[in-house]
Amino acid sequence: MWAQHTRRALLSLILRLLFLKPVATGSCSGNGQELLEKLQRQVDLMQDTSRFLDHYIRIQGLDKSGLKEHCQERPGVFPSEQDLQELSRRDFLRTLNTILGHVLPRLVTFQKDHPKVEDLGMVTRYIRGIRDNIHCMDQLLRGSSEMAKPTRASPGTWPPHTPASDAFQRKLEGCRFLRGYHRFMHSVGQVFRKWRETPSRRSRRHSPQWVLQRGIHRMPPSMRGKRLVPRGQLPR
Amino acid sequence: MAPLAALQATFLSALLFLGTDCGQALPEASTLTPESLKVSINTSQQSVHVQWSVHGLAYHEELKMVFQIQISRMTTFDVIWVENYSTTVAWKQVLHWRWDSELPLECATHFVRLRGTVEEEAGTPGPRPWSNWTSWEEVDAQKSLGPGLLFVFPGEKLVEEGSNVTICYVSRSHENNVSCSLEGVPIRGEQLGPNVSVITLNNVPFIRKTGTNFFCEMKQTHTIQGSVLWVSKVLEEPKDLSCETRDFKTLTCTWDPGTDTDLPNYRSQRYTLFEAFSGENKSCKHKDSCVWQVAPGSQETYNFTLVAENSLRKRSVNIVFDLAHRVRPMDPFSMRLESVSATGATVTWKVHSVWDHFTYLCQVELHGEGKVIQQHNVSVEKDGQCPFSELQPATEYTARVRCAAAEHFWKWSGWTGWNFRTLAAAPSEAPDVWRDVKSALGSCNVTLFWKPLSKSHAHGEILFYNVVVENLHGPSGSKLFSIPALAGGTEVALDGCSHRILVTANNSVGTSPAAVMVISGDPADKGVEEERVEPTEQGFSLTWKPPREDVVGYVVDWCDRPGDSPCGLQWRRLGPNSTSAVINSGAFRPGVRYHFRIYGISPQRRAFLLGKKTGYTQEEVPSDAPQVLVHNLTSHSFTLSWKDYPTDSQPGFIRGYRVYLKSQAEQCQPEFQKTVLPDRSVGCQYDINDPEQKTLVVGGLQPESSYEFAVIPHTGAGEGALDAFTKVTMPDERSHVLIRIILPMIAGLVVIAILCYLKSRWMKEMCYPDIPDPYKSSVLSLLKPKEAAPLTIMSVNDCVPDALEVVKKPEGSKTPFPGARKAAPDTTARTRPDYIYLLPTESSPSPCICFENLTYDQAAPSSGSCARVLGPHEAAPSQLGLPTSAASLLKPLEQNYVNTPAETPAGETTLNYVSQLASPVSGDKDLLPTKPPEPEPELCCEYRMQMAMPLDLASPSRNESSNGSPTALLGQEYHG
Repeated sequence: MWAQHTRRALLSLILRLLFLKPVATGSCSGNGQELLEKLQRQVDLMQDTSRFLDHYIRIQGLDKSGLKEHCQERPGVFPSEQDLQELSRRDFLRTLNTILGHVLPRLVTFQKDHPKVEDLGMVTRYIRGIRDNIHCMDQLLRGSSEMAKPTRASPGTWPPHTPASDAFQRKLEGCRFLRGYHRFMHSVGQVFRKWRETPSRRSRRHSPQWVLQRGIHRMPPSMRGKRLVPRGQLPR
Repeated sequence: MAPLAALQATFLSALLFLGTDCGQALPEASTLTPESLKVSINTSQQSVHVQWSVHGLAYHEELKMVFQIQISRMTTFDVIWVENYSTTVAWKQVLHWRWDSELPLECATHFVRLRGTVEEEAGTPGPRPWSNWTSWEEVDAQKSLGPGLLFVFPGEKLVEEGSNVTICYVSRSHENNVSCSLEGVPIRGEQLGPNVSVITLNNVPFIRKTGTNFFCEMKQTHTIQGSVLWVSKVLEEPKDLSCETRDFKTLTCTWDPGTDTDLPNYRSQRYTLFEAFSGENKSCKHKDSCVWQVAPGSQETYNFTLVAENSLRKRSVNIVFDLAHRVRPMDPFSMRLESVSATGATVTWKVHSVWDHFTYLCQVELHGEGKVIQQHNVSVEKDGQCPFSELQPATEYTARVRCAAAEHFWKWSGWTGWNFRTLAAAPSEAPDVWRDVKSALGSCNVTLFWKPLSKSHAHGEILFYNVVVENLHGPSGSKLFSIPALAGGTEVALDGCSHRILVTANNSVGTSPAAVMVISGDPADKGVEEERVEPTEQGFSLTWKPPREDVVGYVVDWCDRPGDSPCGLQWRRLGPNSTSAVINSGAFRPGVRYHFRIYGISPQRRAFLLGKKTGYTQEEVPSDAPQVLVHNLTSHSFTLSWKDYPTDSQPGFIRGYRVYLKSQAEQCQPEFQKTVLPDRSVGCQYDINDPEQKTLVVGGLQPESSYEFAVIPHTGAGEGALDAFTKVTMPDERSHVLIRIILPMIAGLVVIAILCYLKSRWMKEMCYPDIPDPYKSSVLSLLKPKEAAPLTIMSVNDCVPDALEVVKKPEGSKTPFPGARKAAPDTTARTRPDYIYLLPTESSPSPCICFENLTYDQAAPSSGSCARVLGPHEAAPSQLGLPTSAASLLKPLEQNYVNTPAETPAGETTLNYVSQLASPVSGDKDLLPTKPPEPEPELCCEYRMQMAMPLDLASPSRNESSNGSPTALLGQEYHG
């Protein structure tokens, strides 16, 4: 137990050193590559279930045989990786920003209920950092030649979710929600990874436009400007 | 009295009549039947709400009634609850009643009915009849469950730890394959109905604040439903409730709430303070304290009740007190130190005034060096002060004050403190000084050491030390040395050793008294022998005899690090009546020898040595083995010596040595004992118990044998390590004897050889002259007395030679004969040699010439016969083994014989003198046993003649010499 705590504290320290300034403080970097790498690292960090889900399962007592099997992601709550890949870059960023905006209050609430779990506070700070970096990336894309076409639906219009009436189902829903969140962040990381895997990286290193240009070339015409409408509800 | 009694009876009868009349005025029970019965369910509270009304009451009429309520489950016949509910009923009043169900109401259908009657009053005769039952009213919560295959009730419930909980599940599956678990542990229930099972959990434990999970799963559909039991800790009664005031404006009550019963979703634990006299109450903000506003002058006594409650329980405690008895004053303020001197100071402070003439008791403490030095109690109304005296100069102190109500002591206020430092003063004591004196050639080098003055004596920071040196026997006058305070001593070179030294310590205020010592030129340690001292648990216990002279004290000094430079000189002063001291030091280490010197101090402050002690705090085994040398090695003994072994530098007193000896024979010498060595081999040991004995003679050893030895010293701690043995091989006994014999022999031979060399001419004359003269033979001279018979020396005149040839040979023409033991001087001018030889004559076919020449061989005559010289002459074998075969010998002889001297070439005709020696050579001796002499067919006397022999015959050619060994040649000749 002690070793686990020590390992976690060490990891936390390393991560803090690694991302010395995880949250943008208003001024955006003009280096798209650097910004993308930072987003990639932040998103990769959020994939780790030990940051959040494992804590939740342990604290709620769901780590028992017969219960763990029911903590599976509910389909439709978070977009699939394929859906994300098909989005334009700006729509992808907006979708990500919207979903994180819904996730954040739930995590904050959970953090308040369990203030002794240090990782929870760090996760919420990183989500805010991701959203700030999304904002900066969106600014870079906005200045590029890619123009967002009118969307069929705003990505931030998730219908309000009515939580389950009984406490037991609320526990399970929270677990499924976090499972889906980690999976979703993994998918987001895959999308960012594909953004970075470009054969002509050298020419784009110092140009903030490369992300946009690549997105235009890769996206099928039918998907340009198409924004994703999340199908599921986000349980609270 | 009788009329009065009759009046009372009449009055009572009238009252009874009136009462009976009133009873008859009440409505009949049958007319008071409950009506409009309605039953509802509150699922969150798991309660049944019943409401009804009673008809038949007159307007504004109120009646006390009792209603009997029945509740049945599943069917109307299964009554599970009966309760009588009493209440006052008014006209058109709707009555309510609540029943809390242990079983979740969703688990079964419930039926409710009731009946009523007028409540019996005191004095009314007989029980009242009940009204008729209402009809059963059914409540079924399952009807509102909605779609779904599996339901668990209650969905969540707040319970106390240790309570019992009933849970049920409703399955709408025909197979009813449902399994339930509590925190992952399977648990089985009882069938309540066709699709309903009930599980009762007894004594539920507190597991976590996020609830205890109970869940059921339907296998076919993997449907899971569950319930969360919010198990809270049991609310405890507040403990240690206490209230006090600090300013008579507020009362602060505190208590120990015990275990926190709040859960994240159920935060209901709260506390309320209720004051009985004023009737006021206050909801507390905190779970462990509450502040109550005091109305000034209105109330002196308070009766508080503290109520603790949560959703499940309520507890309370009470406290009554007088406000003036619960005063804890505010902390004193405006604290100051005044009139601070070297030995005194005065502290002043103020207290918060509550009202006039309220007296405080203040406690004043003076702290120094972490402990309380002085403590005073002072009564104060507003301003307080307290003087301190007998303080140490230049010392840090802390003064602190706290106060309490003097009349009704409740609690002390907090401390208020102030630090101050007294002023400095001159040092009060002389420094403790000691010295180390080294005298040489009429001068003394004195090293002075002093210990820092303690704070209590320094009275301020010591800035420097003054050292004054006065010569006692020289011209008057003194020298002053000023030494910085950081130095712990100084070194002074004195001209002559009779001096007086004064040392004083100085601070910013003044000078200390002087430490005086007299240095004497007398060698102090003469005639004092060092004694050993055994350590004790307390240290080294030193004792000494008081000297005859007067002493003012003693000093014991020693070095903490003997062997180092500086050695860390330490000393301890003792009073004049002391005769012992126990010396201990944290610097003492095991295995180190410490030396202690005990000095007496005369009234003139001269130190003289009384004794010397040495010892170890703990002896250790010797660290190194001695280097052992082997002396006097003979075939039977050797001597071991380790005289260079330093016993004084060992980590313990050397008590002796143990000598180990190993040999292959594994037999020990008489003084040795057999023992098993550390390597499990068998050896011998010999103990030497005298540490000064550093030699050992080991005897009784076997010649030509190998021995291994080791010498191990031992101390009080034990024996040193047995690392390695040294090997010694004993010499051969014969060689020893031979050396004794051969060496003198060689010496004798050398002497003889030298004599012979020096007397060579004489020897030649005596032993082997060129021309032997029998008459000069010494042998003959020795034999003369013995020989009775006339000498048989052949005279030339007596011989009738057949042929005789005499060749005159000039002197100096001799050539050294290789076989001669001593070579004749060589001559470069060789002349024709002279020789003499006997040749047989032709006229005498077998001449027989016998010679008996005892000069050359005594064995020859003993042969007893003479041999006739046959045919060609056979030369006698060379006694030196020379290759002198008959042919080789005869041939040159013939040549020489035939040839004239003139015809003989130079070099070839050179003759040598060949000594006649009759004794056979070794080769002959060897041959004799194998070839015993056989009688010759013709006896002949052999004359071993002297002959002159050519040089080339005597030294055979290389070819000849390679033909065979001399022995072989002799053999051929013998057989031939």
